[in-house]
Amino acid sequence: MTPHPNADKLVLCTVEVGAETRRVVCGAPNARVGLVTAIALPGAVMPSGMTIKVSKIRGETSEGMLCSEKELGISEGQGGIMELPVDLVSGLELVAALELADTMIEVDLTPNRSDCASVIGIAREAGSFVGRHLTPPVPRELPPLVADNLPFGVQVEAAEDCPRYVARLLRGVTIGPSPWWLRQRLLAVGQRPINNVVDITNFVMLEYGQPLHAFDFKRLAGGSLEVRRARAGERLQTLDGVTRDLTPEMLLICDAEQPVAVAGVMGGANSEVNPATTEVLLESACFNPVSVRRTSRVLGLGTEASYRFERGVDPQLAPQAMERAVRLLCEITGATVVAGGVDYREGVKPRPTIDLRVSRTNELLGLHLDGDAIVHHLSTIEIPAVKQDAQTIAVTPPSFRIDLEREIDLVEEVARLVGYNDIPTSLPMVPMSFPEQDPGRLMRQRLATVMTAMGFYEAINYSFVGARHCDLLCLAEGHAARSCVPLLNPLGEDQGVMRTLLLPGLLENVRRNINFQTTDVRLFEIGKVFHPAGDVQPHEKLHLAAVLTGRRQPRSPMVHFGGVLVDLLDVKGVVEAILESCRLTQVCFVPASDGELAEPDQFIRLVAAGKEVGQFGQLSLKVAKGFGIKQPLFYLDLDLEILAALPPVTTQCQPLARYPAVRWDLAVVVGEEVRVGDLIAAINAAAEPLVEKVELFDIYRGKPMEKGRKSVALSLTYRSNERTLDDETVGAVHTRVTDIILTRFQARLREV
Amino acid sequence: MEAELQHLQTEARADLAALTDAPGLEAFRVKYLGRKGLCTTVMRSLGAVPDAERPRLGKLANDVRQDLEAAFAAREAELATSQAVSGAVRPDLTLPGRLSPFGKLHPVTQVMDEVCGIFAGLGFAVAEGPDVELDYYNFEALNIPPHHPARDMHDTFYISDSVLLRTHTSPMQVRAMQKAAPPLRMIAPGKVYRCDSDITHTPMFHQVEGFLVDRKVSFGDLKGVLSVFIAKMFDAKTPIRFRPSFFPFTEPSAEVDIGCVICKGVGCRVCKKTGWLEILGAGLIDPAVFKMVGYDPDAYTGFAFGLGMERIAMLKYGITDIRLFYENDLRFLAQF
Repeated sequence: MTPHPNADKLVLCTVEVGAETRRVVCGAPNARVGLVTAIALPGAVMPSGMTIKVSKIRGETSEGMLCSEKELGISEGQGGIMELPVDLVSGLELVAALELADTMIEVDLTPNRSDCASVIGIAREAGSFVGRHLTPPVPRELPPLVADNLPFGVQVEAAEDCPRYVARLLRGVTIGPSPWWLRQRLLAVGQRPINNVVDITNFVMLEYGQPLHAFDFKRLAGGSLEVRRARAGERLQTLDGVTRDLTPEMLLICDAEQPVAVAGVMGGANSEVNPATTEVLLESACFNPVSVRRTSRVLGLGTEASYRFERGVDPQLAPQAMERAVRLLCEITGATVVAGGVDYREGVKPRPTIDLRVSRTNELLGLHLDGDAIVHHLSTIEIPAVKQDAQTIAVTPPSFRIDLEREIDLVEEVARLVGYNDIPTSLPMVPMSFPEQDPGRLMRQRLATVMTAMGFYEAINYSFVGARHCDLLCLAEGHAARSCVPLLNPLGEDQGVMRTLLLPGLLENVRRNINFQTTDVRLFEIGKVFHPAGDVQPHEKLHLAAVLTGRRQPRSPMVHFGGVLVDLLDVKGVVEAILESCRLTQVCFVPASDGELAEPDQFIRLVAAGKEVGQFGQLSLKVAKGFGIKQPLFYLDLDLEILAALPPVTTQCQPLARYPAVRWDLAVVVGEEVRVGDLIAAINAAAEPLVEKVELFDIYRGKPMEKGRKSVALSLTYRSNERTLDDETVGAVHTRVTDIILTRFQARLREV
Repeated sequence: MEAELQHLQTEARADLAALTDAPGLEAFRVKYLGRKGLCTTVMRSLGAVPDAERPRLGKLANDVRQDLEAAFAAREAELATSQAVSGAVRPDLTLPGRLSPFGKLHPVTQVMDEVCGIFAGLGFAVAEGPDVELDYYNFEALNIPPHHPARDMHDTFYISDSVLLRTHTSPMQVRAMQKAAPPLRMIAPGKVYRCDSDITHTPMFHQVEGFLVDRKVSFGDLKGVLSVFIAKMFDAKTPIRFRPSFFPFTEPSAEVDIGCVICKGVGCRVCKKTGWLEILGAGLIDPAVFKMVGYDPDAYTGFAFGLGMERIAMLKYGITDIRLFYENDLRFLAQF
């Protein structure tokens, strides 16, 4: 190693790389003769994306780069290049030398199996399925946990909150980086090494599943700990640097003066182990799962420790993990353990014995096991079971299986051990019964059939929408649809409230389709809308909404029908078809001018039994613009709850006519203000028995008629059920009908 | 008479040869072979012929008629063929048809209808419940008390402390059991909600819950019913496996995999190289749930299962992005 001739802070190193030597320029403060470190050779690509090349640094050639852990993406680094064990052979690939090439097994853990949130737990479980038994690490023989003459003490306020608390004191601790093997193991599971004491507590937690916490003993006031609920107004800065307000349901670890940790969640900064620490008070405890979960939720702070405590930690683990951690602390940090320690265990309850019925097990699983077979199965996963008689087995679950509390839990274990796939398949023997269908679902299916037959595609939109939809729809203040059910925790403002109308979702869909150049759009949705109903669940109502825009014949090429666009009468036809197919002929069409969503004079309200059951019309241009739609769009909205409640119109078969019909036309000139519907209604109202049907066949405006008048041509079908009609009979009726029209509507006959 | 017949034959054949189209053929048929045609007229005039001559002339007249009929048929066929070759004014049948508009059901609805149809065939009733549920039905009555870690499996949208958007269709188990005594056999299709959104999750999706309660219902029965369902929904040869799992409201609990329908078990991207696809969760109804609804857990047993509709639709149609279901793009909807 020689100084760089042109730079004070750089040195020229001769690096032995296997059989070769390389000259490398380095600026690390810890570069020294004899150091074993990592080198990136020319051609290597660093995690930053930089490619290492032979280069000149301040005039000196460098044939590679000596690397820090940070540069290699291994850790945040301690400053300087890597310091590797001196016994490593030079020239090895780093990945091989440090055993970084590892296999990752990802375990998807169900919440009931907290015992498997540890290496030992997984090993035990895996062992039982390959017929091998677990060999746990041998703990160091330590002086027993007696509390006499201890330089510290622990008080627990309530055994229910903290069933067990084990603590020992270690002196002569030297804080420093952990040995490579320990850091490597933490890195392998994605944990960041911090220092030897913290790394050991984390390592033992991963190994045993028992969270541990190390306090800097000298920073604990009064040299004692108390496990208690927080008092009003207490605060604590946790290890993540956040100062947290504590509430009285939270469980704390406190010294003589103040809180020093949130029990089972996170330690406090005020007692954190730091480079100056020499005495460590180590905690290995068991906290109430519900208490930890509630605290973790309120603080919004989930940790490896809280994850395990929430799911339950075996109270018998506390001393085992303590002994393991103490052994590692002594070996690695040079600590010595103070004789004795605290083992508070008043909350540890003995595990009750469970009676497992052989017949019940077989009935539930569809098996024919005898008691001996069940006992044997359970023994393979270290569950002690004793046959009481032919029908009963007494099972004492081991302490690590805190999930086994009831007979059914054991039945599941038997099923698992037999193997789900080896349980014979059968079909239930059940009495025959008629499978009732959901009425709402049946109605939805019937309507969906009608809608698809008329060219509409079914859309499904989210049940939540943005509250701003009501503004986009230009709904008046106080409009019923503005009264929404809000979500407490929506994913975003656009999904903040439960929808009160289906239309906004469909309009968003139309905009999207038009943006992607699909301009002929027919969509419908049958779904629930939600209206607030006091304190409990909102009122959920089924609606049908549809939108219609673009060409009238979207599926046929222009050559057949041209590009004629839909208008109000298209959507009216859709509504008529729906009502006819559902036999809802009592629904009336009431043209109105007060449709909030509709263009003036392009709005019809549907009324039945004095109630509004729906509406349709042309969407107002203002609303359409709000949704980014520039082409005319027609919509319909039906309240299926009211429609379903209407008395059904029953159908009776009518005899088919036996005598021919006669068609006579009636063309009258009326004022523009006269509505065709009224003309037809007037004829129908006359109740002439021979008038079978009145149809509109032409409307004509223009010469020779004066402005403001139109010619309406109707075709009247006359028929008798008793005989073939002659001209004289028909003529008499036709004259009466014509007179009604002429007198009531100030009409005149149109000259042919 | 004989000469007259021969003249008729010669003249008719000449006429026939000169014909070029269908109207001509028809005119020929009327003139010679029709009810008032020349052949008929000649036959009628046989009455005036001496008795001795009548059989011979009758036969001759008949021969002439048959000859002309045969020639007419031949000429008719000839003209039809020649017209096809010349292609004069034939309609262009390759023009697109005049299609009445028709739409389609959403793919999720299609799959849901199919699933419900299979279970209806097995005698399961169908009932729907509220989307906005009480915490009690969604969690507590299903053996998930407050602060149970299993609540982490459900990212829940809340309306208030005790009201939420159901995270599964399982609340219908409780609602149905509260209403009626066993035996029960029911499926409950519907929307469910979880606050989660990415390429494989949408905050709203669809499930079908199913359950059966009676005396002596076993895990084997659960396997049997689900096997029938999978054979009908996918393919009779689809392999199935049951894996232990955990749901607070069933025990024993299982997750059910089917052999990957994409790669047939060889291993592909969809099945993450495992050859298996998780398709549903199931189990025997936990005795704690029976206690909540007042059923005697020693007298009754039952099973329950829950199926995700989007998952099945994605597998069935090879859809790779779940968000497509809720964009309602006609280019997507028209494909199913």
